[in-house]
Amino acid sequence: MNQSFLDYYNLQPLFMAIHSALCSIMPEGLAIFLEGLVVAVLILIMYAVLAIILIYMERKVCAKFQCRIGPNRVGGKGGLLQVPADVLKILTKEIIELKNSDHFLYALAPFLVIMASILTFSCLPWNKGGEILHMNIGIFFVLAASSIGVLGILLAGWSSNSKYTIIGAVRSGAMIISYELSIGLTVLTMVMMSGTMDIQQIVASQADGWNIFKGHIVAIAAFIIFLIAGNAEANRGPFDLAEAEQELTAGYHTEYSGMHFGFFYLAEYLNLFITSGIATTLFLGGWMPFHIAGLDGFNAVMDYIPGVIWFVGKTFFIVFLLMWIRWTFPRLRIDQVLTLEWKYLMPASLLILLLMTVCKVFGLVF
Amino acid sequence: MNIQEKIAQLVPGMTVAEQGEAVITVPADSFRKLAEALRYDKDEPMDYLRDIVGMDWGEDGLGALYYLESSKTYTRIILKTLTADRENAFLPSVSDLWKTAEIKEREAYDFFGIRFLNHPDMRRIFLREDWKGYPMRKDYDMSSNPLNMENEENADTTDEYYLNPDGTIADQKNIVFDEKDFVINIGPQHPSTHGVLRMRASLDGETICKIDPICGYIHRGVEKISESLTYPQTLAMTDRLDYLSAHQNRHALCMCIEKAAGIEISERAQYIRTIMDELQRIDSHLLFYSCVVMDMGGLTPFFYGFREREMILDIMEETTGGRLIQNYNMIGGVQADIQPDFQRKVKEFIKHMRSVIKDYHDIFTGNVIARTRMEGVGVLTKEQVISLGATGGTGRASGWSNDVRKHHPYGVYDKVDFKEILYTEGDCFARYMIRMDEIMESCNILEQLIDNIPEGEYRVKTKPIIKLPEGNFSASVESSRGEFCVMIESHGDKTPYRLHYRSTGLPLVHSMDTACRGNKIADLIAIGATLDYVVPDIDR
Amino acid sequence: MSNFSEYIKGYTSGIKSLLIGMRTSMKVFCQKNVTEQYPENRHTTLHIPERHRGRLVMIHDAENHHHCIACGLCQMACPNGTIKVVSEMQEDEEGKKKKVLVKYEYNLGSCMFCQLCTNACPHNAIEFVNDFENAVFEKEKLVMTLNHEGSTLAK
Repeated sequence: MNQSFLDYYNLQPLFMAIHSALCSIMPEGLAIFLEGLVVAVLILIMYAVLAIILIYMERKVCAKFQCRIGPNRVGGKGGLLQVPADVLKILTKEIIELKNSDHFLYALAPFLVIMASILTFSCLPWNKGGEILHMNIGIFFVLAASSIGVLGILLAGWSSNSKYTIIGAVRSGAMIISYELSIGLTVLTMVMMSGTMDIQQIVASQADGWNIFKGHIVAIAAFIIFLIAGNAEANRGPFDLAEAEQELTAGYHTEYSGMHFGFFYLAEYLNLFITSGIATTLFLGGWMPFHIAGLDGFNAVMDYIPGVIWFVGKTFFIVFLLMWIRWTFPRLRIDQVLTLEWKYLMPASLLILLLMTVCKVFGLVF
Repeated sequence: MNIQEKIAQLVPGMTVAEQGEAVITVPADSFRKLAEALRYDKDEPMDYLRDIVGMDWGEDGLGALYYLESSKTYTRIILKTLTADRENAFLPSVSDLWKTAEIKEREAYDFFGIRFLNHPDMRRIFLREDWKGYPMRKDYDMSSNPLNMENEENADTTDEYYLNPDGTIADQKNIVFDEKDFVINIGPQHPSTHGVLRMRASLDGETICKIDPICGYIHRGVEKISESLTYPQTLAMTDRLDYLSAHQNRHALCMCIEKAAGIEISERAQYIRTIMDELQRIDSHLLFYSCVVMDMGGLTPFFYGFREREMILDIMEETTGGRLIQNYNMIGGVQADIQPDFQRKVKEFIKHMRSVIKDYHDIFTGNVIARTRMEGVGVLTKEQVISLGATGGTGRASGWSNDVRKHHPYGVYDKVDFKEILYTEGDCFARYMIRMDEIMESCNILEQLIDNIPEGEYRVKTKPIIKLPEGNFSASVESSRGEFCVMIESHGDKTPYRLHYRSTGLPLVHSMDTACRGNKIADLIAIGATLDYVVPDIDR
Repeated sequence: MSNFSEYIKGYTSGIKSLLIGMRTSMKVFCQKNVTEQYPENRHTTLHIPERHRGRLVMIHDAENHHHCIACGLCQMACPNGTIKVVSEMQEDEEGKKKKVLVKYEYNLGSCMFCQLCTNACPHNAIEFVNDFENAVFEKEKLVMTLNHEGSTLAK
């Protein structure tokens, strides 16, 4: 396989060159500080832009599922400017403080949620050498950081001092904590398969074939469970019972307004993207191009496509899959959500872990 | 033995009205004994209380009409009892015999100020708690309640009146919600109460302990307004009660007036009315499907129901000129003849409906999430639905055969061959399936009728001013969600002395408490959706 | 063991039903949209049935004649007081006193389109038309005068 060609798109040398150039004109500490600043701004911009794209996509996809057209007035024919217009609107709205709420926690909660989301977002492997946070326990860090989100949700529900929000928050807490088990176990399965927790190396280990093909049935089952649990983790339908509008109007963020509400909203969509991104990394080879063994010409053409496009493309494919699920199924009830996790998904993921171990030991993975 | 003779044996002082329907007047002190005897009769238990109609007979006093039916033989009788004391009007309560009387007696209390002895919960139901006077009384001063912009606080206690052994009347406070209860307020502005209905639910965690529905947010006083309208004018109100049964409601009122005034309508009009009723039923059930699905959180199938409903609305609009407010039935027939391509379009629709119904079932009915959320949830037994007077699909889902079309045919239902859909489980899923099956059954009925509409005039000429003879008249139809009944008391004028509509939704809302207890809060939404009530019809 | 087989059965049938659901929604995803774009479709697909009741009009012929004899039956039939007929007594050529319509006022805002007025009219002078775009910014504009300027009773 044309391994060297992949290096063509490697961003690492470029970043190193920038770093050394900066170091030559200023002290290293300042250079790192400046780089950090630029990267932070870049993350936030990407975060916002992706959220806008995702919201637009969700509206259009959902409209198509429902035989509708979707947004189509603002910004020409396709309604392209609808979401930016909504973002502007939400930015200008007043942030309402409730009289009997716990003001500090009430204000803190949306930031916790968005922080968890941005932290995990930073770990995504965009390209070879293109990840922002790189550490050798990367995937473990993702799991840990994403758990902060549930804290924000619980605090939001508690501090709003409303009956709807507290029910929504407690539901969400119970659900997310349960589903973290399945996520952890399936991630563990894939970590075992790749033999590393480093996100870049997990991707690199899939150079000779994506995990979902290499791990065949076991990996596919793990993939499905990861998607279901990830969907639940992102509080999206059919697991959106934390904000079940038919029962609890808007669940834990009923009392939020303006950009505080906007943070919850943004985080929801980005969590969808992050879940898909992690799934891409673990199962679909991250930024690795699609190769078919033996078809060298085809493989070479695939290699021409930059890794970042592969990554984003695959991620959006999974995003679409999750939207398809969301816009098909009715919502589960809280006891059913927990039954599904503890009676079906958890045993299944334990079994998958066991099977993966067996496969690995006997060399049954390719 | 005739039922009247039986009553005469039990209560020698009874009298039967000579004009209109046979209303049996019973003195108030022997009413309770008679009610018990009729309710627990061995051969013909009058176990279904269709309605309690409060009345103000001026000099004679205040009282109520009790419309009873037997769920075994479908015999109907009307009892009348009254008390001459207008200041302290007390009647014995029958809420322990028929559960539906709990809410119907509250209605009579609200409008007429009749207090029912031993009723556990004598609160107002539609009007504010601080309302002065009783508006349906004939001597009510219309200016006594100016527009009140104050917030209304709901009391957590309620009154119960009972008779002391020495004959005096005493009052005791009952508790609706305890201070320690975790009461969550659902509505009146809530996504899934299907209108401005409010429910206070006390919870234990996610489990429901008690539900107290609070009605009246869109109470418009239709019955009171009707008392000052001529008979043709009263027609304008019916479409605005249960807007998903607009045709059927108006059909009932027209039938009642025609019956009383002795107007024969043509067979063509009968056919058209029946066809419209069935189209309306499909329309309503499609909306039911959409709402159930949406209340369960599935937003996509919601649009499937609306997609097909749109076709019905288009068909109806071509002929009637209205989509929601149809204005089609008139006294003596229908407003206009059917459009030339009406029949073709209906046939096309039936064909289309049969082809897409599979999608409906594939995406929702068979879905494992929907199944587990509906099966075994909110079970109402047959005894409970009869006692609650929960007619229509809700009753039939519990095995109570109560289809007015079958047991008291009207229109041309005696000429068509259709089966009454019955389920026995009484849970949400049965209630859902009833409606889905009824869509197909309505298609069958339509198919039998659509090609056989006889020639003739669509409306017979009536007198310009319609006056009904003295007496009580009633007519009932099977509306989309249960038995809809019109009760008129006429004193020979061109306006009704009292016009009462049997709300199909009021007993259904009243069933919420029975059906929801012990279930989860998410089930409340599912149960509410499958009971299928429409709020304007409850509040009137 | 039967418990376990039931567990597996529940597993498979559940997954199957979910897949059927997803197939159905994808089928509809690929179908044509059913919604229409309202102001754009005014001259293309928009169809308002003849009998749709948009607002009340008084029928005038080419010579600006109407058929209203100012009898006031419509005004009496209306449950809402939507119609106000203003008339005056005029003497015709033969010296007979006759009621003549001066102003036929109709308040669209309080009309409930029950058709009692058109049913009551003995000369079919008024009818409902399917013109539905009646939204205005001020309530006063909803009060319309239905008889045209200078119109007279048809012979």
